[in-house]
Amino acid sequence: MIGAQPYLADGVDLGDIVLAVSKATIAFVVLLVSVMLMVWFERKVVSRLQNRIGPNVAGPFGIFQTLADGIKLFFKEDLIPERSDPLIFKLAPYLSLVPAFLTFTIVPIAGDFNADNNGSVTIFGRETFLQVADAPVGVLLFLAMSSVGVYGIMLAGWASGSKYPLIGSVRATAQAISYEAALGLSLVSVIILSGSLSTNAIVDVQAGAGAGFLPNWHLITSAFVPFIVFVIAGTAELNRPPFDLVEAEQELVGGFHTEYSSIRFALFFLAEFMNTVTMSAIIVTLFLGGPAGPNLGLLPGWAWGFVWFFAKLLVFLFMFVWFRATLPRLRYDQLMNLGWKVLIPVSLGWLLLLSGLRLASENSAGVTELRFIDSDSFNTVVFAGLAVSIFLVATLLLSTALRDSKKNRLKEHGLVMVDGSEPINTGAS
Amino acid sequence: MIDVVVFGVSAIIVLGGALGVVLSKNPVRAALSLVASFLAVAVLFVIQQAHFLALVQVVVYGGAIVVLFLFVIMLLGVDKVEDLDLPERSQVVAGIVSGLAFFGLICAGLFVSGPGGDEGNVALTGQIGRNPIDSTDDINQLAADIFTRNLVPFMATALLLTIATIGAVVMVKNSEADSSLPEAEVN
Amino acid sequence: MEQYLPIFALLVLAVLFAAISFIASRLLSPSLSTVEKSAPYECGIIPNQEPSERFPVKFYLVAMLFVIFDIEIIFLYPWAVEYMNLGAAGYFAILLFSALVFESFIYLISKGALDWGPLQLNRNQSAIAGKPNAFSTATAGVRIVGTEGRFEHAKEVA
Repeated sequence: MIGAQPYLADGVDLGDIVLAVSKATIAFVVLLVSVMLMVWFERKVVSRLQNRIGPNVAGPFGIFQTLADGIKLFFKEDLIPERSDPLIFKLAPYLSLVPAFLTFTIVPIAGDFNADNNGSVTIFGRETFLQVADAPVGVLLFLAMSSVGVYGIMLAGWASGSKYPLIGSVRATAQAISYEAALGLSLVSVIILSGSLSTNAIVDVQAGAGAGFLPNWHLITSAFVPFIVFVIAGTAELNRPPFDLVEAEQELVGGFHTEYSSIRFALFFLAEFMNTVTMSAIIVTLFLGGPAGPNLGLLPGWAWGFVWFFAKLLVFLFMFVWFRATLPRLRYDQLMNLGWKVLIPVSLGWLLLLSGLRLASENSAGVTELRFIDSDSFNTVVFAGLAVSIFLVATLLLSTALRDSKKNRLKEHGLVMVDGSEPINTGAS
Repeated sequence: MIDVVVFGVSAIIVLGGALGVVLSKNPVRAALSLVASFLAVAVLFVIQQAHFLALVQVVVYGGAIVVLFLFVIMLLGVDKVEDLDLPERSQVVAGIVSGLAFFGLICAGLFVSGPGGDEGNVALTGQIGRNPIDSTDDINQLAADIFTRNLVPFMATALLLTIATIGAVVMVKNSEADSSLPEAEVN
Repeated sequence: MEQYLPIFALLVLAVLFAAISFIASRLLSPSLSTVEKSAPYECGIIPNQEPSERFPVKFYLVAMLFVIFDIEIIFLYPWAVEYMNLGAAGYFAILLFSALVFESFIYLISKGALDWGPLQLNRNQSAIAGKPNAFSTATAGVRIVGTEGRFEHAKEVA
């Protein structure tokens, strides 16, 4: 089932355009304000965690500090390095900023999902969801935008014509593509559970109570593993600590934006924090039911949706800040090992396990034209045996491959692996 | 009406991007033109209501493949204008000839199939009597198609990927062996 | 296609926002560029070494691996939407496909495509219980640089 905004289903008239533009404008303002608050929130929380006070001069609690910094950047000199490729150097901030804006369009930020409501409200006589757009590819738009967003960083580093940005951007690209695979695979688990790509439908599936007093969130119904993979991969995708090798100050000065100054730097900074807010919002949508939550009265149903959404969002925004304050940066080999050798096999295995289990327990699957396996024989017991044997074979293969690669590397250094991984020297001596 | 405008604009971007790929002196700019071209092709797919295909176009071609190209460009260090050798005359001739041949092939295909009606271009797709893809469930139709009728080509894709992997590793191992030699001499 | 109208509106807003910011910045900011300012950043010193023009070939293998997994993931989405209707047949198809992709993954790992950074060695503590020597420092888990002559020297000392 593909997502669709009900009001755009048949043709466009002037009212539709007004509604679309006003939604886009609201999202635009909300994003900018949320970035402003997020930067302040991060600085304030990190300060408190480090026993400092943090910004406290501009406005109450220093809340306008980001605004002041932003305005200051307008007055700073805009340098274009002599060895840069000027066209691409100027283009890169756009390539970073535009995808950051567009990803937010798929996030439902409010709406009533209780009982038979599907989160739609009626504005100007048009039935619509409280999200900018429910694109026909739904949640996959997020994946498309994150793969386009890579170019902003990669080209910024390349176009600077300077070594630190170049190294930073190549690192960033390799990191982004490594973790994008894990991100995509853990997303498949959510689609298996919801049976839909539409973010509105994904939220709707999660509404109401699940087993006992627990909510029906994908966090619980997918048994935490895809969620954990998604959060780790999402943090890496954002280049946030502990995955911020891209701008590791000790090694790379500022990373890909070392040569950027003035408003161009501000736009990269804006995109970075916008991505943090959007990633938190997408985690909430996919795994924590987004705006779905009980209606406690006093406010209209759709407003409660916003309250729940915002409360859940804050948890993840705090989590990202907490990560930054607590976790030390990974080494490059640790980063690559975690992404490829842990997250990808785990998320791939988990989604096959999840779908197989559901298929086996349902066992009432529909009819397809090419059915070479009898549906009745595919029950839970058979599947459990299959899963265990596949797991054993895969583990064996993976460990053999890891051992093999280590042996080859030792050989390059003139060492041989003997039992217990103890190297002995057979080198030049 | 709006379809025509969107088609016109994205077709111009597709062609402009393609020209940019060929005419850019700088390989990175050429790759960027390629991205523009791919993204505009995705828009063309959207006009055809093939939303999932548009996504694949952006994620696989716009995302993965061009990143691979850019890595290769940076890997070889050919991203400086002066490093780019002009192609041989024979290469230019071969390029023009194969381009014209491909263009002729497409024209022939279109000519044979005639103007596409609601059934789509039968001769080009080889599918007869299929419903035009409905905007509400192109991904479901695709799934039903891949995992039933076209199961064998689907599996062949996996084999193709394996072959590509082996090819990449062999190439890398060779280039590593080549590049390690002069370094050893310097040391 | 109408479904993309709000996204397009936001796209236009984002581009306009960036463009207006650039124009405002150009009007407000000084332009006093000097040779020093526009030189590549090198912590204030004059760069005496050209940056390397080539990159480790491993980045290429990572990109290759990403293409493979990206294609696998792209096939997984239609299946995930329809998997209940495709039933056991669809499930085994995707299982076989995943196995084939996993096999390329295993091949790449065993060929060392994902080996980054220094060797990780578990040293036998009893063997190096004495004084550190050239061999123990060379295999201590740090990158081995300039090893030529060291092992010979160690042998002479011994």
